[in-house]
Amino acid sequence: MKFLFALAWKNLSRYSRRTLITAGALAVGVAVFIWMDGWLLGAERESERNIIWYEAGSAKVMNRQYLEEIQTIPLKQVISDPAAVERALEGSDAAATRRVVFSAELFVGLEDGSGEGSLFVKGVGLDPETDGRVFRLAETVREGRFLRGGEPELLLGDWLARDLSAAVGNWVTVRARSRYGAFQTLDLEVVGILNCPNPLINQGMIFLPLDLADEALEMEGAVSEIALSFPEWQNPTGRLAEIRRSLVGFPELAVADWRELASDFLAINQGKRAGNGILLLLIFIIAAVGISNTMLMAVYERVREIGMMRALGMRDLSIRLAFLLEAGGIGLIGSGVGLALGAGLNWYMVRWGLDLGAIVGDMQIGYRVHSVFRSAWHPQALVGALVFGVLASMAISFIPSSRALKLEITDCLRHV
Amino acid sequence: MIRVENVSKEYRSDHTAVHALRGVSLELGSGEFLAVAGPSGSGKTTLLNLIGCLDVPSSGEIYIDGEAVSGRSRGELATLRRRKLGFVFQTFNLIPVLSAYENVSFALALLGVEGGELKERTLKALQEVGLSGLEKRKPGELSGGQQQRVAIARALVKAPQIVLADEPTANLDSDTGREILELMAALNRSHGTTFVFSTHDAMVMDFSRRLVLLHDGAVTSDQRRAP
Repeated sequence: MKFLFALAWKNLSRYSRRTLITAGALAVGVAVFIWMDGWLLGAERESERNIIWYEAGSAKVMNRQYLEEIQTIPLKQVISDPAAVERALEGSDAAATRRVVFSAELFVGLEDGSGEGSLFVKGVGLDPETDGRVFRLAETVREGRFLRGGEPELLLGDWLARDLSAAVGNWVTVRARSRYGAFQTLDLEVVGILNCPNPLINQGMIFLPLDLADEALEMEGAVSEIALSFPEWQNPTGRLAEIRRSLVGFPELAVADWRELASDFLAINQGKRAGNGILLLLIFIIAAVGISNTMLMAVYERVREIGMMRALGMRDLSIRLAFLLEAGGIGLIGSGVGLALGAGLNWYMVRWGLDLGAIVGDMQIGYRVHSVFRSAWHPQALVGALVFGVLASMAISFIPSSRALKLEITDCLRHV
Repeated sequence: MIRVENVSKEYRSDHTAVHALRGVSLELGSGEFLAVAGPSGSGKTTLLNLIGCLDVPSSGEIYIDGEAVSGRSRGELATLRRRKLGFVFQTFNLIPVLSAYENVSFALALLGVEGGELKERTLKALQEVGLSGLEKRKPGELSGGQQQRVAIARALVKAPQIVLADEPTANLDSDTGREILELMAALNRSHGTTFVFSTHDAMVMDFSRRLVLLHDGAVTSDQRRAP
């Protein structure tokens, strides 16, 4: 066995250029895999965090019909008595806040005439006192201040503010239909610009005090949803069951966790992972073709040598093992270099990230990442890529070595 | 030690059959220095391949130490070659990435010899073929004669019963070829190892103590000669 290792190692240097080219192809494949995997994982984790902190909380209680029609944001399907629901939830140890969600058109007409326009947006009436229990929106105020109750004021995402050339202190007009279908027009002062890590907030959402939304939209104390926060958001099954038991007296209400509320993200993420899997498969096919070609050449050029080894009594299994070890050596060099390169790229992406704001812009790409995409460390992928690179290389060399071993010894010895 | 009994070998390609050997019978005793000679296509290499268990006869039987070779598996034949047979090839067939020492020790490693014994036996074999001091050189750094000496050391290091050499001097100039033959003859005398080599070179035939002539796959002469 020791001899086989020594022979395989020395054979690696036999065709050093070919070995380096093959190992290089594998290194690129492994490095790209690690880079892409880390990047996707980073985007996934940041998206999950940004969905929970700024968009969905850990879960939401809402009217069952509202949940079914959530894309149309129906104001008629509401929680009529949110205080009663909150009382029922008191024992569940989840932080809660009320919100009214509505569709609106936002008009900006600046006094100095420097800009004007309108956009359809998603409006949220939030309780400034309790919103921080569930969401971290207040921490994202880039300019101005957070909302105060009872004032005709509004918060805008910074991309929205930029599109409308709106700034803190400007007055904007919001037009929306009330719960009973009547048009309501509100003049509101922009008191803060949000720079939220969740692009959906920045792109098309406005926030105003809950009491103001309640009055303007004729909610009469009803709300669209009660958002909840609890620590077990990653595995919420038990907590959700507990909350559902607490709400047994409210058959019209449903509880949806953040995964259900962000199902668009999960579907897109799954699709992207599958697409990325295909890309990675292609990369590894390219590397596999390289290794297969290298080993085929190595075997073909050494047919007579194989014949000599067999003539001297070396077993077929040992000869095959010698080629497997040689291919494994190429795999180890390629995967090792790829691991170092990939880890280096990943380190940069974890530390500094890649600002895709200029490319992605206002596009909705599914991920809830503002503009700087940061990677995450995925130790299993690092180890897996190395092990896979070595094992796949060894497996690929099986076919060429089998071809040589099928030849008769005398044919091997005659081979030119 | 080795008995070749009425062995024939036929090669078939498409619709034609080539009779490489026709009913050859031979007995090889211990310590023989035997040349199998004949023109090209006479069946010399085929006979050596069959004796060396590298190929199987179409009919007839070969006995090594009284045991028939036919019907044995690939693994069993490999074990037989590893333990009892040594080979020297016309083109040396050394592993180019290994040093002279490693090429020779390879044959011992196959037998599971390792450590101090492997080193001692390898160095001794290289010394016997006159390559002391060149142990670290790779085949590319050695002359043709030196490479064939490494091949002889590789064949002899495991102390086989018989060494089969297929035209061992064909790739060497006449002086070097003579040196190699003298070396093999000396080793035959000192070790008592049987040497069987194929050749069509008259000088090689002169060295042999037994000369078997083949023509069209049949033995035409089997003469014992004075050393």
